[in-house]
Amino acid sequence: MRLEKCWFCSSTVYPGHGIQFVRNDAKIFCFCRSKCHKNFKMKRNPRKVKWTKAYRRLHGKDMTQDSTFEFERKRNRPERYDRNLAENTLKAIKKIDKIRSDRASDHIKNRLKTGKVQRQKEARKQLELGIHLVKAPLALAQDSSLCLPKIKVNVSQAQTEENQPMED
Amino acid sequence: MWQFPVSDQVPQISGNRQACGNSFDKQQRTFIQMRTVLKVVDNSGAKKVMCIQALKGKKGARLGDTIIASVKEAMPNGKVKKGKVVYGVVVRAAMQRGRCDGSEVKFDDNAVVLVDKQGQPIGTRVFGPVPHELRQKKHVKILTLAEHIA
Repeated sequence: MRLEKCWFCSSTVYPGHGIQFVRNDAKIFCFCRSKCHKNFKMKRNPRKVKWTKAYRRLHGKDMTQDSTFEFERKRNRPERYDRNLAENTLKAIKKIDKIRSDRASDHIKNRLKTGKVQRQKEARKQLELGIHLVKAPLALAQDSSLCLPKIKVNVSQAQTEENQPMED
Repeated sequence: MWQFPVSDQVPQISGNRQACGNSFDKQQRTFIQMRTVLKVVDNSGAKKVMCIQALKGKKGARLGDTIIASVKEAMPNGKVKKGKVVYGVVVRAAMQRGRCDGSEVKFDDNAVVLVDKQGQPIGTRVFGPVPHELRQKKHVKILTLAEHIA
């Protein structure tokens, strides 16, 4: 039993699922479901189809290089069965899986961080400008703790001096 | 009095589906039956055969089955001549065949290897990939001649 990777979307194909297409040049394409198969028949390039892993890796949306990927390399030489080895491998698979998914989600979080900071800044500014929509100005004046602290901006005096000769 | 315009259009029943551009779906993914033209992938001399009978199977032959075929196109000097009735083993079928692990395999075209009545291949070489379903059907000789086993 071997868990293959779908040629189109790179998800795992478990036994009993999917279709294997053998082309006449003996290249084998495994598909996880008919969605991927139909896209392949339409001659779509997985690197251009947004929901595939190929696109996401190519455009930096998902983690590309990590040491945990080394564990999943395809090995064609069969290992002699050893009960201890099998047990340790099963334990290791669980742990490595957790580490890999944590690192992948961290990668995505870091990628989305800049957008989040930007959005928070914009929200803050919007609140400051439109505080009158949230609280009545009279209430703000009476209770100073409700409004945001006022920031003083120094206007340079040199500008006003330059204007005066122009008006004359 | 203003009347609503009555549309008498009957909804189009898309029976032929030619509007969506099925240039990639022309391959018939069905059984190999009478009148099916198959490609010959060995060096027995024939190029194309037409199936005249699928042994075993009411609806037709599938991957790994034997058929009786008539040679329609042959190389000028070969072991089989045009018009001869031969037996063949289907080594590639466009119709998917279920494997014992639950997955399905399908190939790009319909191809056959000519054999004699005992099941021994007439040619000495086989081109292209062959499935390992042939092992179960006891066509080991074809597997040994094959260049790639899918």
